[in-house]
Amino acid sequence: MKRFALRFARTTEMTLLVICVVFFIGLVIASHGDLLEPNSLRVLLQFLAVPVLIGLAQMVVLAVGQLNLAVGAVGGFTACAMGVLMADHGVPVPLALLIGFLLASVAGLLNGLLVVLTRINGFIVTLATMTVLLGVQYRLVGTRTVDAYPQGLKSFGSHAVFGVLPLIFLVALVVAALLAVMLRRTVPGRRLLASGGNPIAARLSGISNDRSVIIAHTLSGAILGVAAILTVASSPGVNKSIGGDWLLPSFAAPIIGGALLTGGSAVVLGTVLAAFIVRFVDTARAEFSLEPSWVNFVVGTVVLGSVVLGQVRSRRQERRTVVKAPDAAVAGGVS
Amino acid sequence: MSAPVSETATEALQEPETPVEPPRGRGGGRTPWWANQRIGLLILVVALSALFGILRPAFFNQQLVVFPLLRDIAMFTVVGLAQMSVLSIGHMNLAVGRMAAFSMMITGISYDLWHFNLYSGLLVGLVAGTAVGALAGWVIARTGVNSFVVTLALDFLLLGLIPLVYTALTDNAAFVTKPPGMRELRNYSLGDVCIGNLCGSPAVPQLAMFAVIAMVVVGWIFSRTKLGRELLMTGTSVKAAELSGIPTARRVITAHAMSGCLAALAGFMLAVSTGSIKATIGEEFMLPSFLGPILGGTLLAGGFVSVWGTLLGTALTSVIRKGLDLLGVGLESLNIYLGLILLVALSTDRFRTVLSDRQGVRER
Repeated sequence: MKRFALRFARTTEMTLLVICVVFFIGLVIASHGDLLEPNSLRVLLQFLAVPVLIGLAQMVVLAVGQLNLAVGAVGGFTACAMGVLMADHGVPVPLALLIGFLLASVAGLLNGLLVVLTRINGFIVTLATMTVLLGVQYRLVGTRTVDAYPQGLKSFGSHAVFGVLPLIFLVALVVAALLAVMLRRTVPGRRLLASGGNPIAARLSGISNDRSVIIAHTLSGAILGVAAILTVASSPGVNKSIGGDWLLPSFAAPIIGGALLTGGSAVVLGTVLAAFIVRFVDTARAEFSLEPSWVNFVVGTVVLGSVVLGQVRSRRQERRTVVKAPDAAVAGGVS
Repeated sequence: MSAPVSETATEALQEPETPVEPPRGRGGGRTPWWANQRIGLLILVVALSALFGILRPAFFNQQLVVFPLLRDIAMFTVVGLAQMSVLSIGHMNLAVGRMAAFSMMITGISYDLWHFNLYSGLLVGLVAGTAVGALAGWVIARTGVNSFVVTLALDFLLLGLIPLVYTALTDNAAFVTKPPGMRELRNYSLGDVCIGNLCGSPAVPQLAMFAVIAMVVVGWIFSRTKLGRELLMTGTSVKAAELSGIPTARRVITAHAMSGCLAALAGFMLAVSTGSIKATIGEEFMLPSFLGPILGGTLLAGGFVSVWGTLLGTALTSVIRKGLDLLGVGLESLNIYLGLILLVALSTDRFRTVLSDRQGVRER
């Protein structure tokens, strides 16, 4: 137990947790305790749900060594599709949400299939699907804002347990937990990480890298589907700008959280904590009534700083030559 | 893929299935002509232009269609070259648009506060772009972090910084001082350049000369100079380049500095053609910057570039955009078609490569 605690103390997650706590305390002091009021806490968490999910959607493709530029487009397209289905065609809410979820998953699946079948770089494939879906999204809603969907969904989006914990935040946490369990404890998850960590070793061990890539992209799409549902539920309406600002945060969270772009790393907790940090930066910005641009500036600096620090740390670790990466265990035998 | 941490930036972006396959050049000599991407592109551009011209005779209207079309092609070619410079070493520059915005901000400051003339302002902008590109390259070379992440973070950083500066220095989030000569540069074509009685075509904008200069210089660097060869070798294999005595870290910085400089030039061309220097310059650069070079045959993995291909790839997308626009296809649908074209073009390219491999025409 003690060894586990010691090992945890040295991880990125621990660093992030400390930063989170320090940041939060700082914010509480700066706001003279206003932040601890149930309402402020609720707002803080309310706007965390979607960033957590889009970070995870990116993380899962990073885990297999791919990337997904279409996060914003998939999410925005799905959100708009659901809005249009409910408002214009009178589709019942549960069915519309299910269709949205499936649409997003299929979009992810399509990304994966295209990458595997055409062998085009995933960067280009998702760039292309991003462009296509942006066009479809614009065609669906045009310049209007769709907001005539049932009140029930909106009250689900704004409902909070005990007045503090928003339901949509809990949904995001459940998704994160499921993803963590899947990546660490199930066979497809382990295979996915093995493919990401060392494709050659994975293939030699009888793992289909193609299947891992497809699974990762589909999972990414499914998570984005949930993110789109939460967006529809929690925002006053959907329009063509939904998803437009998702791309950069989707990379920021996993990268700050310690994900390797080379694949093979599963950092669910890190991604969630990083989303918290980005959210705190935004809260701080509002607290000191600075311009919104400051958030991007600070987040950019933090991302750059964290990758540089991460590199320094991994080099130091290599020098000590005791690299204890639990996820590399599957791949380690062959390489 | 023996090292746990990838050494080249693109390793992370490669399909896991093909990490051992060496990047192949697609030079003209070794491949049959029908597998040459650039000839295919040229035919496609000409055919599409003819098709659009038949469907809508207005497509050949010199003043209203061809002139702005060529101006767009010129600008996006420079954007494509900016991306191509870093693709040559297997890196990416996601901040290409923001670098343009940053250097135009500096240019705007030089016009507004220091009262520079048109070309010294451009020079200041180019220097600023080169500097910010070199900074990105330095961070990548120094830390070994993936270029994707570094330029993405830089993009964030500039995205935050630029509006702050604009709100601090200007009233309407745009620099309003226009140095003399800017409007002329926007509207004048080769029709305004006469040698004796012989005048140029009024359809060719003078602004295009910047693209020609950029193409000549970049093409010369990559095909004739030691620097260019070293960049391409760095792109093919960092380790081999290192062992051959190439200062790879310095080449990484050079490539990114080149990219920043070209991005600044593209930003200047956009500023001149829209007539205003504002924070949103370069927002739409990211997709075209990849479209041009990739369609033109530049390898994402590094080691092979094509200046002509970049021009043709850019021309193709611009012609399609303009043609569909004239046919009355709404702006929203343009994106759908462009994305599909990118996918189809790359898939057929893949198909062609496989075919020509199968025929055994290729030595390697």
